[in-house]
Amino acid sequence: MPEKPHVGMPLPRPDGPDKATGRAAYIHDLARPGMLYGKIKFSDQAHARIKRIDTSRAERLPGVMAVITAYNTPEIRIGFIRDNFALKKDKVRQHRDEIAAVAAVDARTAAEAIELISVEYEPLEAVFDPVQALAEGAPLIHEHDARGKPLPDNRLRLGFHHESGDVSAGRRAARHVAEGEFSTPLVQQSCMGTAGCIAEFDGTGNLTMWTKTQIPFLAQRDFNQALSAMGLRGKNTRVIVPALGGGFGSGLDTHAYEYIAILLARRTGRPVKIVYTRDEEFARLSPRQSTRTRISQGCDAEGRLTFRHIEVLQDNGAYTSWGATYPSVMMLPATSLYRVPNIYFDARLVYTNNTYCQAMRGYGNPELNWALESNMDELAEAAGMDALELRKLNCNQPEETTPMGLKVTTCGLSECLESVSEKLAWGEKRGSSKKRGVGMAALFHVGGGGRIYRSDGSGLFLKLDDFANVNVYYGGVEMGQGLHAVLCQMVAESLGVRPDQVFVNPTDTGTCPWDVGTHASRGAFMAGNAAVAACLQMRDKIFELARELYTSEVQKNIRRARKKDPGDEPPAFNFDLAAKRGDFDLRDGMVFPSNAPPDEIFAIDLGRLLRAAHFRQEGQMLAAEVFYDPPTELPDWEKGFGNMSASYAWGAQGAEVEVDTDTGEVKILRLVAAHDVGKVLNPVTIRGQIYGALAQGVGYALYEEIKCDEGRILNPNFRDYKIPTAAEMDFDIDLQFIETNDQAGPFGAKGVGESGMVPTAPAIANAIYDAIGVRLRDLPMTPERVLAALRKRSPGVE
Amino acid sequence: MNRFAYRRPATLDQAFELKAADPSAYFVAGATDTLVKIKNGDIEPRALISLRSIPELKGIETGETVRIGSLTTISEIVEDAELAKIFPVLAEAARQLGSRQIRNVATIGGNLCNCSPCADTAPPLLVHEARVKLAGRSGSREIPLSEFFEGPGQSCLATDEILEAVLIDRPAAGARGAFFKKGRVRMDLAIASLAALITLDGELCTRVRLAAGSVAPVCLRLTKAERHLEGNPLSPELVSEAAELAAGEVTPIDDVRASAIYRRRLVEVFTRRALAAIAGR
Amino acid sequence: MKELSFEVNGKPVKVMAEDHHRLIDVLRNGLGLTGTKEGCGEGECGACTVIVDGRAVNSCLYPAMEIEGKRVTTVEGLTEPDNRLSALQRAFVEEGGIQCGFCTPGMLMSARALLDENPDPDPQEIREKLMGNLCRCTGYTQIVESIQKAAEYERKK
Repeated sequence: MPEKPHVGMPLPRPDGPDKATGRAAYIHDLARPGMLYGKIKFSDQAHARIKRIDTSRAERLPGVMAVITAYNTPEIRIGFIRDNFALKKDKVRQHRDEIAAVAAVDARTAAEAIELISVEYEPLEAVFDPVQALAEGAPLIHEHDARGKPLPDNRLRLGFHHESGDVSAGRRAARHVAEGEFSTPLVQQSCMGTAGCIAEFDGTGNLTMWTKTQIPFLAQRDFNQALSAMGLRGKNTRVIVPALGGGFGSGLDTHAYEYIAILLARRTGRPVKIVYTRDEEFARLSPRQSTRTRISQGCDAEGRLTFRHIEVLQDNGAYTSWGATYPSVMMLPATSLYRVPNIYFDARLVYTNNTYCQAMRGYGNPELNWALESNMDELAEAAGMDALELRKLNCNQPEETTPMGLKVTTCGLSECLESVSEKLAWGEKRGSSKKRGVGMAALFHVGGGGRIYRSDGSGLFLKLDDFANVNVYYGGVEMGQGLHAVLCQMVAESLGVRPDQVFVNPTDTGTCPWDVGTHASRGAFMAGNAAVAACLQMRDKIFELARELYTSEVQKNIRRARKKDPGDEPPAFNFDLAAKRGDFDLRDGMVFPSNAPPDEIFAIDLGRLLRAAHFRQEGQMLAAEVFYDPPTELPDWEKGFGNMSASYAWGAQGAEVEVDTDTGEVKILRLVAAHDVGKVLNPVTIRGQIYGALAQGVGYALYEEIKCDEGRILNPNFRDYKIPTAAEMDFDIDLQFIETNDQAGPFGAKGVGESGMVPTAPAIANAIYDAIGVRLRDLPMTPERVLAALRKRSPGVE
Repeated sequence: MNRFAYRRPATLDQAFELKAADPSAYFVAGATDTLVKIKNGDIEPRALISLRSIPELKGIETGETVRIGSLTTISEIVEDAELAKIFPVLAEAARQLGSRQIRNVATIGGNLCNCSPCADTAPPLLVHEARVKLAGRSGSREIPLSEFFEGPGQSCLATDEILEAVLIDRPAAGARGAFFKKGRVRMDLAIASLAALITLDGELCTRVRLAAGSVAPVCLRLTKAERHLEGNPLSPELVSEAAELAAGEVTPIDDVRASAIYRRRLVEVFTRRALAAIAGR
Repeated sequence: MKELSFEVNGKPVKVMAEDHHRLIDVLRNGLGLTGTKEGCGEGECGACTVIVDGRAVNSCLYPAMEIEGKRVTTVEGLTEPDNRLSALQRAFVEEGGIQCGFCTPGMLMSARALLDENPDPDPQEIREKLMGNLCRCTGYTQIVESIQKAAEYERKK
């Protein structure tokens, strides 16, 4: 039988047709019988005592079923250090604090009711800058921690620190040093489908949450804790994930609106739906973390890096979510991108009255890479070296352990650098023009999961029905990245069935096994490893059945054939060669002994075999179950040490730009990208991942920024927060995938979801420097900033 | 709160009657600007009076004076080959307005009556010294477009008046134009825009018209720069001086999209580039 | 409440609507056609794009009262009889034009309107005409390729 590979093929995504016909149901499209619509009243103060909340008029509005505040509901603490609350009591700490909420018969009534709630505040002194928030006498954002212990200042007690070697010695040994301060702004994930959920209690007091989440099981745990706080200890939450209108990290935490929906559902006894409007999505959801980084690096006379010193300051905003843990991921490139013997890394996080932040694609890596890869170019210039040569000289190699204890297995970095420099025509174009320039940047990221939680596990169940359809239950989420497609392909190939026989079930904590969440580019890697193992298990069970039933089934085939055509004798086959489990193979849904003649009479359809096993005395049905947890460590973040991933992703990107020195506009002429992905599982979806990430990288580099004034977001809409349109991406993009075939991953694959936007901004900045000789250190690199930098460099010269 | 009555008069008289009965009602055409304002709570009209079904407000007539009915959509302007030949600067500005979906519904009347300082069709119409025909219960009047804009969001329309048509005389034979607009991305409100229409007689500019958008409370003509250029050849020095004058004539503000300094800079750059493009041809 | 009579995806319909409703409300709530999505409600993202009398429009800014007597096509109208994907939909599925899918209905309608006006568009025209359809997932490259593929399929027919 011919072997037909499915992995590596451009299988059209199985969820594609539903999305192309309008059939796919997102949270916005779902409704439950008796459902009410919830809406939240938000604070319009950045820092104030709540003196009075008057909900009486809202309560009297016809169609309003419930109005809740922190004063008539049990307290629910949220966030991983529990410093946030579903509804705010006593004081508000940011412009988007949830003060009250209503549930009404329709969305319009709910919105009207919100307008009828009036709140009296006593403004408090506020602080919007982390440096000021650290100063003596700064107003305290949180007086106590979650345990009631008084807090002396606005510093978060979360440590992210790494020291290896001797940085002072490294500094002394350096012939050339480059230093700089870099900043990145608040940026919005900007999913096309906004956030939302439906909360519904059933008749036994158990909760079902349909919600836009990337962490169904961690959310289940969070919601169960909330149920406890509500006096429903022992009750369970089932989290069901509908079609997601994007993720990009926005679904990695649970949000106040989810708990509010739960409280409203409990109060009314009816399902409650809360869906954010676009301006709520911009102004009331947590964006990408902003950062300030001070970096210095030095190299010896030959260009070998001798030290790296990095300090990060983060404006933590009013509460704590995953933005606070960006330094855990920053530590990866900080300690391991390029070989550096002496490293210091430290991050400080400070409460302010700004919005708090959560995860977004890259999770700290784009932020750190912005500083690091810009600084590498500055160091190259200080050393009189070509920026590519500096990178090549300090390039990482396979099979090395980095100062953070990361065990690098495969490493395609040098191939990536080669590819980018070649595609850019580096030698020819670098330094060649006054208006055009080329620049590059490399990246290092996790590729085999990311243990930032106690478990980095992924379970997977397979069940076979009577028709050889494979039902796959996986607890991670498809948010557009193509996880279902590659899972179908990997199951089809590992099991030996056709992809159209594989059905990936909706993500549902009630049916799927535990998974920590779809983040850290871990989906395909984890699901794949679990799937491959589960398929092997399943094949064993199938071949056990074959051992029992194959011969009798083939005899039936032979008898049937003889009846039809008495003269036609099938080839001879010794059925002793079909006696052991190991004698069999399964391909494209057909079971046959490996040594059987290639006649179709000797191949039994898998479904037929399964039915024969099922419909008999003491019949059997087959299922397989695996919980894959990679052999990695949860790092000690204060020591900055621990091998947190089973493999690591590498890559490089390059940009060619043209700068209009009159208007400051940066025009991208082309982007090139080379990514070490281990193995291309699906060439169409993997390209989609990089193209999409590049677009986010371009927006990050050139114009995306959430603008705030005293904690209030000034551009909470697409009119004034600009993301790239099709016209902005109108330039050549060259993609190359380096396949290093990493043993840790399914079919050799490594994760790729985030890498695409990690080095884009510094590649562009380095190209701008090549073009016009100005170094920009603050994102986004708007035309105004380019002009300002030009003016500063040559005052009086226009 | 976001609730309003929607009326669809079939004639101008009916429209005026409805407005007289409810002076607080808003006239709308494509309604794209109005519905966004209502959604954001900037205005709370109890009723909208749609002019969309009124025949006199439609159509493009190309005589010596071109008459563009106020209900003409921006897409219709883009697609009218003759209009594009006569007024390429207007066609270019129309092409850069919003997205295809918006252009299919937004009207030239709406774009002007909205009186946004960023209105895309205003600078080209100003350099053509367009007039607008205003129709009211008691009759109609024609005024220069430059007098139509009184302030941001404020036109000179009386309560019972509507904009019926835009009237533009065909430009002189030697007239050449240019249009520049810059946003943060391609589909954006203008941070600054500039239209230029210059008649060259050999080396000399016999007639110079410059107009800018998004850099003052209303779209405006840059008359100081115009006077500096008129009657002279377009030498690089003159162009520089004119560009500087133009930048000095505008009164931009800082807002979430751009700073005043940057806007002034764009006016200067656009003026230079427009003049260079026109001289070069 | 008024009764509106118009045509959707080739079939006449009658729906009740209030004066302040938008076309998107009539489609999603009045007719249960939830394929059309609301992404911003302000005509910036294009997720709500439908075709009215041959023109792509943002249904979130189209007054319901103006739809009387008009012909509307939504994403549901692209699918062929017997639930078969049209060439346009098939091209998007095959060429990576879809990731999370939220922008897809609007994107398909803009593509449909574009191809109806010009069956052989070049990439630049495609990008110009799609400026009003935001996508955060794909970076647009494969969307442009999908539309080119669809044009090829349709020319072959």
